[in-house]
Amino acid sequence: MSNRTLTEPGAPPDERTPISSSPRRIKKPSSELWLRNLTIGTVIAALVVLLFIPIGIAFVGSFHDWNPLNGSFDFTGIDNYVELFADATFWRASWNTLVFGILSIVGRVLLGLAIAYALFSKLSRWRTFFRTIFYLPTVMPLVAVAFLWKLMYNPQFGAINTVFGLDINWLFDPRYSLLAIVIMTIWKDFGFAVILFLAGLYAIPEDVLEAASVDGANAWRTFWHIVLPLLRPMLFFVIITSMIGYLQAFVQVLVMTNGGPGTSTQLISFMIYDQAFVKYDFGYASAIAFVLLIATAALTAASWRMNQSALDTPRRGRRVLRRTEGKLS
Amino acid sequence: MRARVIALNATLAIFGLIIVLPFFWMILSAFKSNAEIVGFDQSFWPREWTLQNFMSIQTKLDFFRLFANSVLLSVTITALSVYTSLVGGFVFAKYRFRGRGVLFAVILSTMMITWAVVIIPRYTMFRAAGLTDNYASIIIPAVISAFGIFMMRQSMDAVPDEILEAARIDGASEWFIFHRIVAPMSVNAISALSIFVFLWVWEDYLWPYLMISSEELQVLAVGLTTFNGQYSTDYGGLFAATTLAIVPVMIVYIVFQRRFIAGAASAALKG
Repeated sequence: MSNRTLTEPGAPPDERTPISSSPRRIKKPSSELWLRNLTIGTVIAALVVLLFIPIGIAFVGSFHDWNPLNGSFDFTGIDNYVELFADATFWRASWNTLVFGILSIVGRVLLGLAIAYALFSKLSRWRTFFRTIFYLPTVMPLVAVAFLWKLMYNPQFGAINTVFGLDINWLFDPRYSLLAIVIMTIWKDFGFAVILFLAGLYAIPEDVLEAASVDGANAWRTFWHIVLPLLRPMLFFVIITSMIGYLQAFVQVLVMTNGGPGTSTQLISFMIYDQAFVKYDFGYASAIAFVLLIATAALTAASWRMNQSALDTPRRGRRVLRRTEGKLS
Repeated sequence: MRARVIALNATLAIFGLIIVLPFFWMILSAFKSNAEIVGFDQSFWPREWTLQNFMSIQTKLDFFRLFANSVLLSVTITALSVYTSLVGGFVFAKYRFRGRGVLFAVILSTMMITWAVVIIPRYTMFRAAGLTDNYASIIIPAVISAFGIFMMRQSMDAVPDEILEAARIDGASEWFIFHRIVAPMSVNAISALSIFVFLWVWEDYLWPYLMISSEELQVLAVGLTTFNGQYSTDYGGLFAATTLAIVPVMIVYIVFQRRFIAGAASAALKG
């Protein structure tokens, strides 16, 4: 028993020296084993019951004509997938998800970066106050914020048209409906990026920036050549979490447009909700969900790879640092 | 230099207004009569202040009940989930056992699984188990959180093993070490995680919508959509209901804003 506490083949090589590497082996107290086994057992049980079995059922279900209302669960092979790839709504929803995702991520990242850098600047005042304001929408409940924006876009009395002197029926005009949802999403989410980028900026050693300014680099060059490379890991974090989040977004669509007008605001996740819990076509919805899961996994893996290669960037940043220091001395 | 200070701060102020004004507009509109809201002559301030909207939504749907339910569920789930995350984080950070790395990697990878894949089978399973219209159905899937275990492990990794060893040599039980030594050292992570979990439960819409059918048990997020579905032209009522859903969270946020922001930043920096 005590032998197992030594570095085991199954365990990953540990960063710290294991306790048991000391010559006297301490026998594990029974309370440790008890707590450990209970925890591992509970975690595995939860994973199996709440995730693995459901995923298995969804996978099997996607090959069935599965409707809980009439109780059908009939094997249909790959029919759901065949139907899916011939479904114009699916392609429209995929396109919309792509447009929605890219615009929302770009808006969130650019606005987040710009405002974080402005708050980071020594010229800015009332930093805590502004920071608090910008993060406010992120912590508000999404359903309620979506309702607020539905009212904001109201063609009769909505604040958007009144303030900007426009006459646009935002949510009922297919030319603007998706854009309206993107604007609301950026408004709600960019503050999260502000906080993360600000944390990243404060993590940059002050002397690096001082060295740059002594060196005569202007604000733009400092940002582009020093700050941005050092922020890249954070940038990737924001992009990856946004991507996973936006692929799953559906509440704003449900509240504001219900996928319409036409199919102009159908997103993949909304379509799954709609097929599953409005039309009760569980088999078809499961098939879409699997396609989404695979797309999410592929995109995450691709970004993660890029992130791995981007892990070199702090090193590059440090090289910049060394060069700047070299000039100083 | 002075011009740049003004320009920069003015830009920040404009963006600040873009964030704040919709909320003010919502709160003020909740005190307008329906006739004034849809009237031709729009004004920011109510011409005539009225509490009518708040009183009428209460007769249409028991919003205070919905609110109390949301508070009860959010607090319960937050407490349970933070505790299990602490235990999980402790075991993964401080105990060495076969398969630890693999199991932790599996837990991490589950964070990527979309709700869409598991929600249909879960719905079927919970219905079959007769758990619908029961808070157990809301609490059970939320009790163990992959994100929570991950966050707590990151935090507890920072607690030196020597402290645990010293306590063990002094004869402290694992129970004591966990509750009295390691958990109290993770206060910042606990507050950050509590905030995240609370907000997630508070805004969760689809799962309570699917599981809870009786009005007395329903939560605020679902109540909002029910109200909108039934009284879609009662704009004053919708302003009032949305205000009720947003303002309490806003007050809590403003009071604890430092904790909210530190939590978000630390979760990202460690992640």
